[in-house]
Amino acid sequence: MNTFFKIYFPLTLAVIFLHGGHISVHAHAVVAGFSEVSGIEITAAYDNGQPMSGGQVVVYAPDNPARPWLTSTLDEQGRFAFVPDYAVPGSWSIQVRQAGHGAMIHIPVEATGLEESVAGSPQVFTGLQLSLMIACVVWGFIGTALFFSRRKS
Amino acid sequence: MKKIIACCSVFLLTALLIHGPAVKANAGTLQFFANGEELITQGFLPPKMTKDGWTLTFSHAFVSLSDITAFQTDPPYDAHSGQPVSAREEVRLEGIHVVDLARGSENNPPVFVGEVKGAPAGHYNAISWKMAGDTQGILAGYTMLLTGVAEKDGQTVDFRIRTAEESTYRCGEFVGDERKGFLKAGEVADLEMTFHFDHIFGRADRDPDDPLNLEAVGFTPFADSSKVHEIRLEGMHIGHAGEGHCSIEWH
Repeated sequence: MNTFFKIYFPLTLAVIFLHGGHISVHAHAVVAGFSEVSGIEITAAYDNGQPMSGGQVVVYAPDNPARPWLTSTLDEQGRFAFVPDYAVPGSWSIQVRQAGHGAMIHIPVEATGLEESVAGSPQVFTGLQLSLMIACVVWGFIGTALFFSRRKS
Repeated sequence: MKKIIACCSVFLLTALLIHGPAVKANAGTLQFFANGEELITQGFLPPKMTKDGWTLTFSHAFVSLSDITAFQTDPPYDAHSGQPVSAREEVRLEGIHVVDLARGSENNPPVFVGEVKGAPAGHYNAISWKMAGDTQGILAGYTMLLTGVAEKDGQTVDFRIRTAEESTYRCGEFVGDERKGFLKAGEVADLEMTFHFDHIFGRADRDPDDPLNLEAVGFTPFADSSKVHEIRLEGMHIGHAGEGHCSIEWH
């Protein structure tokens, strides 16, 4: 029933291009250049389509996921764009909140840019699995030792 | 040959002895809290009155919680899916825990529920719990009981509202002022089960057409202090992880 407060991120992992412009005037001229960078744009809205205008945004980098890397606000259309530090690959987390409701999304970023798909986690073995592996290796040594120490008939 | 077998056996036991404590050493303590937030610890006070204009102060807000489980999920659990949580690690707080949310202080509303020692280190980014009737005590057969005083236009009402409905909440990561659930070896981390009671009573400081107010029942249906009121919670979404959404399974 309260699906209104589900916050959806019609997340666009599209690469955005932020362009600066050239300004060319005479007196007190401002000279501005531009560079092309890739970044991430998110859009947050309630599930009735209402944009989450002005919502709080907090970005967390994967190398220190408990500390905000960047804070900002959503624009009128509930959008927010930023450029992650591609020297810090991993899962970047973005939290949006407004009026007591919020959500968090996670964006996989690799050193060269966005990963094409969400990658699985690296294999982590449990204690039991590790113990069994150690046991197997040791008994392999035992078997080998027994093979070479067998009595010749 | 016997010597070889003996040496290898000693080596094997040594490896296991070394490895065993290493696994346990990579663990910490995970604490669980329940939070009715300021609307319970302080009450529905102006301008945050109920949607029908009552002020509420709570003497007690008991909830009965069981099957409290924290998860390490990768990819992160999507509460919108409503599916069971699939985790690589999970930690369960055993037992039924009756918590009075009104015990929280004004400045620190969360109430301690329990803790699990020896929890594997990692990021606990999902939590689930069941609202289950207690087997004894004040909540025997019930999952929630609210008591307190309501006031409107000079009328004062002592209220008692309860429900026996059972449900399971499954939530993703806590959403709030700070991220929670990062457990390092030898340290303590916490998770929170959050209850938004404005989903029951609504809010006068929000637009009457606000979906929250359209769904809330307000307080007027409970304004008769001569009886204990039974409330039907199904369809109301009071359980959260901070401000994060949870799915609900009604039993």
